[in-house]
Amino acid sequence: MTAVLGDFIRTLRAADIRISTAEAIDAGAVLGLVGYDDRAVLHDALSQVLAKTEGEKSAFTDVFDRFFSFTPFAGENPDDQPDAGDAVPGAGGLPGGGTGSGQGQPAGDLADMLLGGDQAGLQMALAEAARAVQLNQIRIFTQRGQFTRRIMEAMGLAGLDERIDNDPAVADRLIEARARLQSQVYDYVERQLELVAANAGRQLREDMLSRLRLSNIDRRDMAIMRGLVRRMARKLIALHSRRARRARRGQLDVRRTIRANIEFDGHLFHTVWKKHRVDRPKVMAICDVSGSVAAVSRFLLMFLHSLQEVLPQVRSFAFSGELGEITDLLVGDDIEAALGEALDRYGSRSTDYGRAFADFAEHAMADVDHRTTVLILGDARSNYGDPRADILKQIHDRARRVLFLNPEPRGLWGSGDSEMKRLAPHCDRALTCASLRDLERVVAELLRTAV
Amino acid sequence: MNQSTDQVSPLAAIGAIEQSFATAGYICNRSIATAIFLAQKLEKPLLIEGPPGVGKTELAKATAALTGKPLIRLQCYEGLDEAKALYEWKYGKQLLYTQVLKEKLGDLLAGAQGLKESIARLHEFDDTFFNEEFLEPRPLLKALWAPEGAVLLIDEIDKSDDEFEAFLLELLSDFQISIPELGTIKAKTIPIVFLTSNNTREIGDALKRRCLHLFIPFPDPALEQRIIRARVPDAEDRLRAQLVAFVQGLRGLDLKKKPAVSETIDWARALVLLHAREIEPELVRQTLNVLLKFQDDIDTAEAELHALVARARKAG
Ligand SMILES: Nc1ncnc2c1ncn2[C@@H]1O[C@H](COP(=O)(O)OP(=O)(O)OP(=O)(O)O)[C@@H](O)[C@H]1O
Ligand SMILES: [Mg+2]
Repeated sequence: MTAVLGDFIRTLRAADIRISTAEAIDAGAVLGLVGYDDRAVLHDALSQVLAKTEGEKSAFTDVFDRFFSFTPFAGENPDDQPDAGDAVPGAGGLPGGGTGSGQGQPAGDLADMLLGGDQAGLQMALAEAARAVQLNQIRIFTQRGQFTRRIMEAMGLAGLDERIDNDPAVADRLIEARARLQSQVYDYVERQLELVAANAGRQLREDMLSRLRLSNIDRRDMAIMRGLVRRMARKLIALHSRRARRARRGQLDVRRTIRANIEFDGHLFHTVWKKHRVDRPKVMAICDVSGSVAAVSRFLLMFLHSLQEVLPQVRSFAFSGELGEITDLLVGDDIEAALGEALDRYGSRSTDYGRAFADFAEHAMADVDHRTTVLILGDARSNYGDPRADILKQIHDRARRVLFLNPEPRGLWGSGDSEMKRLAPHCDRALTCASLRDLERVVAELLRTAV
Repeated sequence: MNQSTDQVSPLAAIGAIEQSFATAGYICNRSIATAIFLAQKLEKPLLIEGPPGVGKTELAKATAALTGKPLIRLQCYEGLDEAKALYEWKYGKQLLYTQVLKEKLGDLLAGAQGLKESIARLHEFDDTFFNEEFLEPRPLLKALWAPEGAVLLIDEIDKSDDEFEAFLLELLSDFQISIPELGTIKAKTIPIVFLTSNNTREIGDALKRRCLHLFIPFPDPALEQRIIRARVPDAEDRLRAQLVAFVQGLRGLDLKKKPAVSETIDWARALVLLHAREIEPELVRQTLNVLLKFQDDIDTAEAELHALVARARKAG
């Protein structure tokens, strides 16, 4: 356990918090005293021995939140309770159920922790596994997958898989929990990587940032991120206008030229050129701006609105509960402030896709036509309300195409209150899109097909 | 196993501290209770920083009340030295003894062979002069001597100078001091030590490293309401909610000195005396000087008065 603490302290030091050996020893004593049970108490107690100015305290809180991220283990969200209740009798019958391994399992069994929603236990298992596989040695982003897998293995993935195969009573819940866990371990790895990168050079740092999950990006890095978005947008604009010029040169349309010149006895007075209709795509972006999705929405909107030269008609809508148009908000130069305002207006309400689609239909359906690309960005988590897939179908019928960008990994689509499985059929494409790189790819594709 | 049954869990202990403070009239949050718990368990001094009037001093007093230990307070100021902080010799008493001794001197030295022996005999009396009897203990020594331990409050350490800080550092690292004439004096029971600072100067790193560090900010609305409920029970719910909301609003303004908890308490008392049941612009204007001590601040607040009052009234 002191090993985890050691890593934590090293991370704090990297964040410019000065910690003496004596204080590190104090921290060990504190940990022994208060344990991991109560996150707030652990935070306060460690902060009191390790961070001793106001500035250090706030840096401490940042690092603590990233290092000890207890909340991600939302293995069983409260809405699942009825299910969990149903499962209890089944679980009670388990030891007799004869899988053998069900009985006398060690307290730290991964499946049990996931089923029981044992946050502290999972957190410790994760921290220990990370330690065991030497996650602090991670240096480059291509190692993310590898480390994620190794950590899961160290946490007892094999046992979990076995339980899934042999215990049908809980298999479904465990499969879902496993996908969630994988995503959380991945996030954890990314955060670790980001901590490492915090001291790396700017070039490396930008590279890192563009590949990180947007929801893992630190507030401190916003300035760099804005720069990156602008640069990517300029790159796309340049790329696109070259392509457009080439398209405009066109080719001689022989058949039509001949037809047009019949009356002149075959002398070709009028030349007819093959026309490339330069299709000015209309884009309508519908962005979920609740919680962690907001980070991604924010960048998508930033992106779209930096592309004014190429995409003259972008309309943007934001929702968590009710939906509203924010296009006018986003015209100024200070797009960051405008987005902040948009989040204030429409964010942090209980997410309701059904409501949002209904509002969208009312405001804007009339303007959706065969040239319109509708971009939906969100996690499709709708608090178990009807997501109104029927309205999305109508939108799909009218629009040129519908793209759905979801920051969650595919494995989680349809789990819990995710309506992705019901919405995806009415989209031309549904993609996982979590990092700036992903966004760049999607927007580039949008432009390519727009020509 | 045994240990866990006869020991309260740390979280329960922290909760209990929070509870018993509340009973004693000091309303605190988890973070403060945690600091007290750690200070006791780790036997480390607790350095408390925060704006004036957020209850730093009060916390030490409440801890003394709670533990039943005497509160020993050392108020720091520029030029504070060991003589005032630690001990002084009682010169008057020593002088008196010298007088007495002089009269006995003949008897004492009778039969002494030469100077050497006389000195040796006199030397035995050193101990008589420099013994605890002639020692005037100041707060720090008192805290070390307290047989059942004590709560030692070293208030406003930022007002003292660097040398004194260095001296304290030594004392706080092993809770013993050496008095040249007497030798080492060690704490009978390690005292619970609080140091407070208003940050008029940066406290040295070395001292900070020895201490646990607690920052007490202005309380959030819920906590401040609880404090008012405890301190001014006569204020009705609605009034309390509104007055706290108003003070919280005031703190958002750019003021020379923001109103502290103590001012909120005073204001609440004043409003109760005036039989107020809600806050109103005119009433607030007339009592604003209870909250704000500078005319500039009062002017700033008056300019925003209506908006602040309107917003605060929504709170209750
Ligand atoms: N949490 C609290 N519970 C009850 N009373 C409080 C609380 N905080 C402050 N008070 C009241 O506010 C008054 C001022 O508190 P105190 O003198 O302890 O502040 P301080 O932080 O030491 O200020 P300074 O920095 O000026 O010394 C106390 O007399 C006390 O009545
Ligand atoms: Mg004080």
